[in-house]
Order: sequence, then structure tokens, then C-alpha cells
Amino acid sequence: MDSGLVAALARAVPTGGLITAPEALRTYECDGLTGHRVVPSAVVLPESTDQVAACVSACHQARVPFVARGAGTGLSGGALPVADGVVICLTRMRAILDVDIQGQRVTVQPGVANLQVSDAVRANGHYYAPDPSSQSVCTIGGNVAENSGGAHCLKYGFTTTHVVGVTLVTPDGRVTTLGGAVADAPGYDLLGVVVGSEGTLGIVTEVILNIIPIPETVRTMLCGFASMSAAGLAVSAIIAEGITPAAIEMMDRLAIEAVEAAVHADYPRCQAVLLVELDGPRAECASTFARVEEICRQSEAQEIRVAADASQRAMMWRGRRAAFAAMGRISPDYYVQDGVIPRGRLAPVLDGIAALEQEYDLRVANVFHAGDGNLHPLVLYTGSHHGEGDRALELAGRILDLCLSEGGSITGEHGVGSDKACAMPKMFSEGALEVFTRVRAAFDPDGVCNPGKVLPTPRLCGEVPGPYRPHPLEIAGVATRM
Amino acid sequence: MSTATAIDVLPFAALVGEEHALAARADDTVQGVSPSLVVEPADEAEVSAVMREASRQRLTVVVRGGGTTLAWGTPPRRCELLLSTRRLDRLVEHQPGDLICVAGAGMTLAALQAHLGRAQGHRQRLMLDPPVPPEVATLGGIVATGCSGPLRTRYGTVRDLLIGVRFVLADGTVGHAGGKVVKNVAGYDIGKLLTGSLGTLAVITQVALRLHPAAPDSRVVLLDDSTPEALAARVQGLARLPVTPSCVDVIWPDRTCAVRVDSSAEGAERQVQIIAARVGGRILGEGEAAALNSSLAQRPWMGDGVVAGIAAPRSRLAELIRLAGRHADEVVVRGLIGVAEARLGADPAPITALRNGVEQLGGHLVLHRSPLPLRDLVWPAAAGAAVELMRSVKHALDPQGVLAPGRHLGGI
Ligand SMILES: Cc1cc2nc3c(=O)[nH]c(=O)nc-3n(C[C@H](O)[C@H](O)[C@H](O)COP(=O)(O)OP(=O)(O)OC[C@H]3O[C@@H](n4cnc5c(N)ncnc54)[C@H](O)[C@@H]3O)c2cc1C
Repeated sequence: MDSGLVAALARAVPTGGLITAPEALRTYECDGLTGHRVVPSAVVLPESTDQVAACVSACHQARVPFVARGAGTGLSGGALPVADGVVICLTRMRAILDVDIQGQRVTVQPGVANLQVSDAVRANGHYYAPDPSSQSVCTIGGNVAENSGGAHCLKYGFTTTHVVGVTLVTPDGRVTTLGGAVADAPGYDLLGVVVGSEGTLGIVTEVILNIIPIPETVRTMLCGFASMSAAGLAVSAIIAEGITPAAIEMMDRLAIEAVEAAVHADYPRCQAVLLVELDGPRAECASTFARVEEICRQSEAQEIRVAADASQRAMMWRGRRAAFAAMGRISPDYYVQDGVIPRGRLAPVLDGIAALEQEYDLRVANVFHAGDGNLHPLVLYTGSHHGEGDRALELAGRILDLCLSEGGSITGEHGVGSDKACAMPKMFSEGALEVFTRVRAAFDPDGVCNPGKVLPTPRLCGEVPGPYRPHPLEIAGVATRM
Repeated sequence: MSTATAIDVLPFAALVGEEHALAARADDTVQGVSPSLVVEPADEAEVSAVMREASRQRLTVVVRGGGTTLAWGTPPRRCELLLSTRRLDRLVEHQPGDLICVAGAGMTLAALQAHLGRAQGHRQRLMLDPPVPPEVATLGGIVATGCSGPLRTRYGTVRDLLIGVRFVLADGTVGHAGGKVVKNVAGYDIGKLLTGSLGTLAVITQVALRLHPAAPDSRVVLLDDSTPEALAARVQGLARLPVTPSCVDVIWPDRTCAVRVDSSAEGAERQVQIIAARVGGRILGEGEAAALNSSLAQRPWMGDGVVAGIAAPRSRLAELIRLAGRHADEVVVRGLIGVAEARLGADPAPITALRNGVEQLGGHLVLHRSPLPLRDLVWPAAAGAAVELMRSVKHALDPQGVLAPGRHLGGI
């Protein structure tokens, strides 16, 4: 790397904030998509917006690409470094700058972990709604970039609903604010474009979040079904009735088996379970809950358990949250897919996935956000068996094709990143991709900000990615996937 | 007002049929700018061909849906061609089981709601009640202005309901973003970019929208109080209650706040009881509530005064009511979310005073409906890197400035 740039970066950040030693750089070689690895030339750890701007300016002047990084839990290779590029890691910017309970706003630096926001306002009866499973570690900056979701986003909306303003360092190093604490900022809604842009339009250095009151009451039930399609039909019936539960999560027999082996959550032994949670005013919740129970019964639920108290509820969620980490109990390796289908099409798509299992002679465990049609099929395989990893990857790709054939999406929350950039043409026309490219160029005409992500490039799409490996956080038991 | 560029009409007539390439009339004028030609493409492919031809001839184009909000924004610097989305009025699909629909941008809001109402066994609606006549206003126009009404308190704006969009750029490029599923993070959220873009970035041809079930019952409580402070205190008390109102509109100078709860009969009743018991107020009878409901979305749009859109911090509610009360004839504040609409006279002084006051509170003011002489007051001062970025985005999508140049913030 150009020594002038290294010197400029060193000046931009406090002592100890520049990493160039090869061993130390390896920490940053991948995110949660561990099959893709690239060692960057340098990593900087700025502590303020001005420092980020100085780092970005230096890179921009040298026309050296840079990649923003939060906690590195992303599952689509969004924070994958660019060879010969710089990683700008935001984890030292972890201050909560302002809490305004009456105005329902919290202003944070991007390195603040998702859960810290709720922790800061819980005593005042509020919380930050988006709850990715990685919430104890993943950063708000990463959430903004990925427009992250979580089990309770079904009712409350994804990150984009709750981010009202950001400070953005543009790819040429200027600092600007988009949106703000107050609604309806005049001009184009650039904030809406930046959220979910996967770090390709600039670096977010401050975020204003909307917080909401903790609901008066929460009710949770676990329903066992004789088949996945029966559970799928129950979900469709609940949604079609216009009920918006706080969460509807679904797991199949394989997933239940794995969970039981791992955490003994005492789930019903059946082909499928639904975890349904409702929250809100007591008056509303009680009648709707009864109605959901009735629908599940009509959909031939074999067993319905209602959580009698908070500890029983926690137990039900424990099973769900452990699902991904538990896969290790039943398979040495697995690949996580993330696709979306219309919610009325759950049953046929699940049948389609079952048919693919047969075709490929591989097992697929299903654990997913059923209420918004966000599937997370886990393709199980044994990496040491010759060719099985490739078959698993191919099967995972076929599942995306299935989602698309139903009018769905190639990603509901994990993002496109480097993982699915080459699949974008399956979902978007040439014209659409051209529009994305032009919007990106409006922010980053020189192509220095997280290049190679989101949009397909010939170079990228010639390469074949490596197989999935568990994220270190999963191995350590700190977080589970989704 | 503007010197019209000579138009070669024949290619347009060939593209859309002679009967849909019409000489413009007086009532096709857009904020004092008179187009020469009105073109009514039948589908997206025709929109694309028309835009390509317009770009080739270096014409400027204003998109018209129902024409109800053509006066929003500043006047376009030029406009030779008016592109009407009138014929893009098809319902593409309604999936009641998935609570989504897809429709042509030229479909009116009323037509959509009527279609949704016809689905057997479902009572679904698009939860938008913008201050425009629903029989005339089109979905594309509502998205392009981003306008909303009292329901915003519970369901958000079109920004929150739009899940997919198809559109055509100035050069004819057909694009799309999002899709028809409610959760989706693939690609940039161009739907949000187009929301409120006033037709300056692309011609919206089709929208996919999220629906909600219509509640079986609805009750209204009126909170009355004599001062802005007392009224604001009640609204803030309401915010802490375990209730989910669809609408919390402070109406001044009426010294009242209309709180509507849409729910099951039982749920609605319990919630209004909680509200009445905890923050006071009078629960309206059916007839009174119905009368109020039908007028709510129209206030303060009745008559043809200037209407300003205002946003201010939620916590400054009392000051906002007082300020608007001083300068405006009528104001409706969505009390829980810090946005308001105020009706004023055509005199610039109170408008400027109100804007300054709102800005001191940390908010901003945009004129939605205003007569031509007030054009310099439509937008707040625009400067800084954010506006530069907006210009770059406009330039990237419409480098020749074909689509309604000058209509948006900062002359974009
Ligand atoms: C065990 C596990 C469970 C998970 N569960 C869920 C889940 O339930 N729901 C869900 O949606 N996701 C989930 N994820 C994915 C991941 O946690 C989210 O995508 C998260 O938002 C990433 O945050 P991060 O701080 O780790 O970002 P990183 O992985 O560091 O970066 C993600 C992307 O954001 C960009 N970025 C980071 N910071 C900034 C910034 N300040 N400005 C601009 N761009 C920035 C990066 O360039 C990159 O493109 C899970 C991941 C794991 C490993």
C-alpha cells in the first residue's frame, strides 16, 4: 500500500488506531460468511465522525477502496475486505450520545450494539424494536447497512422503520446528515436509500433511532402440527385473517430434534412447531390470542401450549433461539439460506424444498420467520464427503430459484453482499440493475466505497465461494443465527 | 411563461395512437407552465417509448396522475409534454391471504379500495387517507407526493406501505425495485427514493402495496382543553396509555383533539374507556363520530387557502400548537408523531413567521398547496452536502433534466 496513504491514515486516527501488521489484519479477513476471505492492507479504528471523514478522504484521494465494518456478524460478506484496500472498523465509536424519552429518540454512534439501545431505555418503559438474533453483538451501523430484521419485526417493522436520521460520511469524505429527529425532512428521501445499502453509499457515523413503549402485555404459544404444510396453512390463515402477531416462528422436525438435543426446550415431538407471540394492550391481546388458538386448532394442531408466565415464555424462545447453533448436533456442516416467499405460499414452497431434499439426497432443516415469509432453510452436509459441499450450495441456490418463481426475494435480512451479488440478475432486470448502478455512482462516482458488493461484476461472478463454516460467535455460544 | 420548444407530434401519435396524443388545453397547464402535448400511454412499454422519444427531442415532461397535487412543489422551469398515467389503471393482483396488492400507477385510490372491498370474505384496505379526492387521485401521484392523512399515526405513510415499484427513467430505461413480499432487502430501496420525488426522478408505472384489515368497529374520543399546553399535556398522557389509536389529531382553533380507535367492538370500547378515564375526554356517539371522521382527512384542506406541511419535535407539541395558532387560520397536528398541516392566507408574512418559529423549534415547513406568487416560499432554504447528494441523484437518473426540472427542493 502507498506509504503516503498509510501516513495519512496514521494521522487520521489516534495512536493504536491503525493496524498494518499481517497477523493482526487476519482478524478482519471475513465476516459471518466465513467461506470468503480477503486480508486487507490496513485497518483503521476511528473514534469520531471527523476521524472517519479523514480516513475516507485519504482513501478517496489515493483511490484506494475502503470497507466499513461493525461487529463482523454479517452473513453475506458485506464487510469482506477488498484486497489492497482499507477496512474502517467502527467498533470504537460506541457512545450513546443522547436519550430523549419524551421525544422517543435515541442518538448513537454506529458501534453501539443493538441490545445496548434497549438496555439504555428499558427503565423508562421503552425499547428499540428491531431484534436480530445477533443483537447482543451486532452494531447499529451494521443494522442500518443491512436493514436488519428480527423475529418481532413482523409487527413493528424492520430497521428502516426505526431509523429516522443518520450522519453520513460520503465516499469522498464529506459529512452530511440525512433525515433527522424530526419527520419529513424536505428533499429526496436519501435516508431511505442509505438504510439497507450495505455500506456501499458511505459510512454512517451517527444514527437517530425511534424507540417505542414496551407493550402492556405479551402472550406466547407453541403449537405442534402433523406436517409442515399444516403449520404453513395455519400461518397463512392467521395472516389472511388480518391478525398481526408480534412474531410467528416456525421449525420443522429436524430443527426440533436438534434443539431438543442441544437445550432440552421440551418442544412437542412432531413434524412442525409454530411459536406465536402477541403483544399490545391487554384488551386487544386477549381476544386475538383466543382467535389464533382457534385458527391453529382448525388447522389441526396436535398440541397447543400456552406460556403461563415469563419463564415458560423464555423457555419457548430458548428453543427457537438455539436452533442454528444446535445444528451441529445433527450435522457436521450446514449452509444457511435466506429467501422470501409470499406468505400465502408457505405450504407449496415447503413441499418444493422437501422434493429438493430427495433430488439432492441431502437433508434441509427449516427454521424461519414464517409470519413474513422469510425462510431460512439450513442445508445440512458433511464437508469431508467429496462433493457434498458443492451439492449443498447448489441445493441452496435451487431454493432461491423456488422463492423467485413464487414472486419472492433472494434475501429477506442477510443482504446481498458479496455472497449473492451474482444472483441479483435472477431477481432484477438489466434496467433495474442499471438504475441501482447509477444511484450508487451518484454517491460514489469513483467506486471506492465497498466495491464488489451488492451489484454483480464480471470479476466477482466468475469466482466460486467456499462452503459455510460456523461463525466464531456461534461456536462460542454468544449468538445464534437469525 | 416559458418558451415552448417545437414538438414533433407524429412520433408520439405513432407510439400511443393519435387519440392518445392530444394537443394540450388550458386546463392542462401546470403551475402557469403550458405544455403543448398530452400523451396517454397504455402501458409501461409505451411509457418507456414516450420517454425515449421525449428525451430524443429534448423535451421536458411532467407526469400527471389525477392532477390533484400538480400544484405541489415549485413550478417546473419548462414543460412541453404532459404524460398522463390515466390508462395505467389496472389492478395487477390482490392477494388477500398475503395482505398485498399490485396496481398500475394510474389507478385511483377509490378504485383500489373498491377492488379490495370486493374480495370475498376479506375486509382489507390500503391504510392511507391523504387529503386528496380519492375518486381522482391516483396511486402513483400519492406515492410521488408522499401525502398522507390522519391514519399516519398508526400505519405510517406511503413510505411504510410501499413494498415494490416499477418505473421508467427519463431516457426510457425501465426499472423496478422491491417486490411483492413484505420483507426484502435485495437491492437499493428505490421505492423510498421515489416517494415524495414529485415526478422529478422517474415515471412511476406500477406499485405494490401492503394492506391491512379494516377494523370492524371504531370509536372516537374528543379531548377538549382551552390552552395548547393543557391539550398537549393530555396528548402526552395518552402516549403513555396501553392503547393503539389510529388517529390523534389536535385541531386548532377548535381547542380539541380527536382520538380514534379502530378495533373489534370490544377492543375499541375498552380503549376509549381507558382514554376517557385516564386523560379525560368525551366519547362520541355513532352519528357524531361518523360526521367527524368524514371531515377529519379534509381538514385543514377545505377551501383553497395555502396549506403548509410542518414537522417539529414531538416533545414541542404545545409550542407548535401555540405558534401555528398565532399565524395560521387552522392547524391539525398529528399529536403523537410531530407533524402538522396548517392553512394560511396568501400573505407571505405569517408564512415566513410560522416557518421561522418552526425552525426555531428544530423543525421545518414546506408549502404543499400555494398560489404562484408564493413560489419562493414553497421550500425552506436548501444548502449543504445533503442537497448536493440530491442533485447528484437527480443528475444520475435524469442527466438532461427532462422530468419536471425545478419542481423539487433547491430547484432540482
Ligand atoms: C449468529 C448470527 C445471527 C444473526 N441473526 C440475524 C437476524 O436475526 N436478523 C438479521 O437481520 N441478521 C442477522 N444476522 C446477520 C448480522 O448480524 C446482521 O446483518 C447485522 O446487522 C450485522 O451487523 P455488524 O455490526 O456485525 O455488521 P458487519 O457484519 O460488520 O457489516 C455488515 C455490513 O454493514 C456495513 N457497515 C457496518 N457498519 C457500517 C457503518 N457504520 N456505515 C456503513 N456501513 C456499515 C459493512 O460494510 C457490511 O456491508 C445474524 C448473524 C449471526 C452471525
